[in-house]
Amino acid sequence: MNKYKTLHNPAYLKIDLMLNGIKADNETIQRLGLDLRYGYTGVTGGLDILLPHNTWVNASFLEEFAKSSKYELVLRDKKTFIKAGDESVKVDIMPKPEFYKLSTATGIPLSKIGAMHGGYVAITPDTRCEFFNMNIECRYCAGNFNSGGSGRVYTVEEVLETVDAANKEGKAEIVYLSIGFSETPDGGIEFLKPYIKAIKKHFNTLVAVEALPPKENHFIDETYAVGADSVLYNMEIFDERLFKEICPGRDRLIGRERYIDALKYAAKVFPNGTVATHLIVGLEPAESTIKGIDFFTGIRVVPILPIYRPSVGANLLNYKVPSLDDVLPVYRDLYHAVKKNKININWVRDISVITTPIEARFFAKTKFNKTLMERFYKTKLGVKTAWGLSTLRRKLRVREGGEG
Amino acid sequence: MNVVIDKRPIWVILLSRSLRPLFFVVVAIIFWYLVSIPTPDGLGLEGQRTIALFVVCLILWVSGVLPLAITSLLAIVMVPLLGVLDKKAAYALFGNEAVFFILGAFILSGAVMHSGLAGRTAVVIMSRFGETPKRLIASIFFLAAVLSFFMSEHAVAAMFFPIVLEIAKGLNLKPGKSVYAKSLFLALAWGCIIGGVATFLGGARVPLAVGMLKEATGINIGFFEYTAAAFPTVLIMLLIGYFMLTKFLPSDVEDIHKIKAVFERKIKELGKIGYAEYAVGVLMAVTIFLWLFLGRTIGIANIAIASVVVLFVFKLVRWKDIEEYVNWGIILMYGGAITLGAAMEKSGAAAWIANTVISEWARSPLIIIAILSLLTILLTEGMSNAAVIAILLPVGIGIAGKFNLDPRIITYTIAIPAGLAFCFPMSTPANAIAVSSGYVTARDMAKAGVLMMISAWVLFNITVFIYWPLIGIKI
Repeated sequence: MNKYKTLHNPAYLKIDLMLNGIKADNETIQRLGLDLRYGYTGVTGGLDILLPHNTWVNASFLEEFAKSSKYELVLRDKKTFIKAGDESVKVDIMPKPEFYKLSTATGIPLSKIGAMHGGYVAITPDTRCEFFNMNIECRYCAGNFNSGGSGRVYTVEEVLETVDAANKEGKAEIVYLSIGFSETPDGGIEFLKPYIKAIKKHFNTLVAVEALPPKENHFIDETYAVGADSVLYNMEIFDERLFKEICPGRDRLIGRERYIDALKYAAKVFPNGTVATHLIVGLEPAESTIKGIDFFTGIRVVPILPIYRPSVGANLLNYKVPSLDDVLPVYRDLYHAVKKNKININWVRDISVITTPIEARFFAKTKFNKTLMERFYKTKLGVKTAWGLSTLRRKLRVREGGEG
Repeated sequence: MNVVIDKRPIWVILLSRSLRPLFFVVVAIIFWYLVSIPTPDGLGLEGQRTIALFVVCLILWVSGVLPLAITSLLAIVMVPLLGVLDKKAAYALFGNEAVFFILGAFILSGAVMHSGLAGRTAVVIMSRFGETPKRLIASIFFLAAVLSFFMSEHAVAAMFFPIVLEIAKGLNLKPGKSVYAKSLFLALAWGCIIGGVATFLGGARVPLAVGMLKEATGINIGFFEYTAAAFPTVLIMLLIGYFMLTKFLPSDVEDIHKIKAVFERKIKELGKIGYAEYAVGVLMAVTIFLWLFLGRTIGIANIAIASVVVLFVFKLVRWKDIEEYVNWGIILMYGGAITLGAAMEKSGAAAWIANTVISEWARSPLIIIAILSLLTILLTEGMSNAAVIAILLPVGIGIAGKFNLDPRIITYTIAIPAGLAFCFPMSTPANAIAVSSGYVTARDMAKAGVLMMISAWVLFNITVFIYWPLIGIKI
């Protein structure tokens, strides 16, 4: 594994940490002041670490598999390092946000409503997914979208309280709203509309929406018009046969073709680089994911590549976790594909739980230096500019009450 | 939520968006230029300013960049600001009789529609006469025309639209493809347009023209007087229209018996005639009688407003039922057009234009009539017919003085062709309603409409030369 010099390449290190986790003894945990009450387990619950070159990673440290990781978290002179063998690299541990300690006026802890991942606050106002009711849920899913009926639906006010708290801490550059499957033609956007509208009305923040492809394209127009700055329809698996097998609900009730058509259409409506789809690395052969990357970048959709990590409760618990060797060609292709198709890679960034195209440049033997634009969009002024440009673009493009 | 996403490149959108402010800047420069050039001989400063305002309003009306009503409001505001008329006089012009007649007509039409009387009348008559495709076309065309003699043509178009749409759907006609469907909707639009020209009641433009004439010269035109002058044009245009609908747009439908069921269902839905329908029917009959026989002495606006009062005294309608039928935009537009027309007249601008510009080509009264009617019929295709009247009538009245022509002739020459807009959906609401169905496209309308427009102009001038002298209108 040393052939990759993982420790000194933030993207290699990120993927290796995502795959294998990191060791941290009790003393380090205590000295870092990590409050284990705030969910440090599960797919998105690990430790948010800021690696060199501004690369975020969410690494498991409490799970069993992390105990055999070659990486170890160590503290020296109040500074944090990741150590592998004799070498180490300085990192920053992102403490769980202060707002996790707060509750809404209705008594719900804000940590249940919003989860911070890098610069994003992710909110799922309704955690139900009807695929579970029909036994056609995605086979890798452990049900963070719970089975239907019992999930609490958070009100617009509760969500606003969460965004407000995150915003006051300066942690909500982007609010990421998501929804599970429900048998409606709109793909869930009608449900999310009041949340998007309210967030846009009260905060100058960008909003990303993860929904399901609606049956008709006018819902995509409305998603943009109502205030979403980015949209994700996650196809997850590109290979046709494996898509049917692993995502039976998505296949039967939406269809692979509709995913592609909806993404293709959304890419014409939303700004360059803001329409994305997840392709899970490790659930299909690398060649198939690469095919997917090339296809989607060709239609100006950003492929986002989470790595499959088995979750307790998921049907694919025993699936083999890919190795670094398996995944590297995929990420190399990602960077070249987005560059070749001139896709803006500044939008999908600073996410700790997935590898973004901007990070994929570290695989492509290019210089690690950030571009001027990348530097600018990281500043406060840059964030405000991104919001302003996005709002202006919407003002120019959206015409209300079109003649039908 | 009904949204449209403009997917053109951003620079194209930005460019197109910046055209609007740029347009206003250009309009402002034109205005500034026209008021700052040396005042021509024979024209006062007020006249020069009024012409500048007139040009600005003309540009805004024709371009449609601002709603017609807002351009009119601009005219009302600018007339006193430019010192052409004082504030009181300018705003008082808004209280013109024509404006109140239009208001009354809207309310009465609203009552007729709200009570169900309009729908029942249409359904019953069409079910009786719609035996064959041609008869159905004829019944829609002639019924729309005849009703437009007595009520606003816009109201008739709106009233018939759902019924014609139901007929098209009942016959399973394909939108944009079926020739018969095109005929049905063009029959509706043309019937309303031609019928609307016949009397004072078909639209607001004739009362507007008559109001402007009275304001400028003190001369009045009576209901019968106008109808007598316009009727031959209407009658022959109806025959030409029917010929065009049946010969140029031959039916691609043979059996229309299915439609019987549609009508039977409509009549069932309406139930038996209720008190409100009877009462509104009687009131309308009385109103029409008064308009026909006492309009000149009592005044058509007085009659309309008095009928409106009666409607509410007997609680035949509630204000909230009527509100949706009152098009305040049109009322504002007429008010402003009248103010601008009066300003043109009182500032001497109209007379100056007549003397110095149009008189260049105006060699004889007949040529004046031919050219004015052509100008009117062309302009009315692209802009509101009332705005056309507001623009051309003051100029026409000025010319009339120069050639010793009776101003009433000029009023007819502009008021009658101003209603004959056949070519575009933006020409008149009846056309817009027809195109909104999706069964007839704007291109279909333009192709058939051009022939109708040419026929109307030729026919109008033949009527002027042959028929008008017979009824004592001497040129």
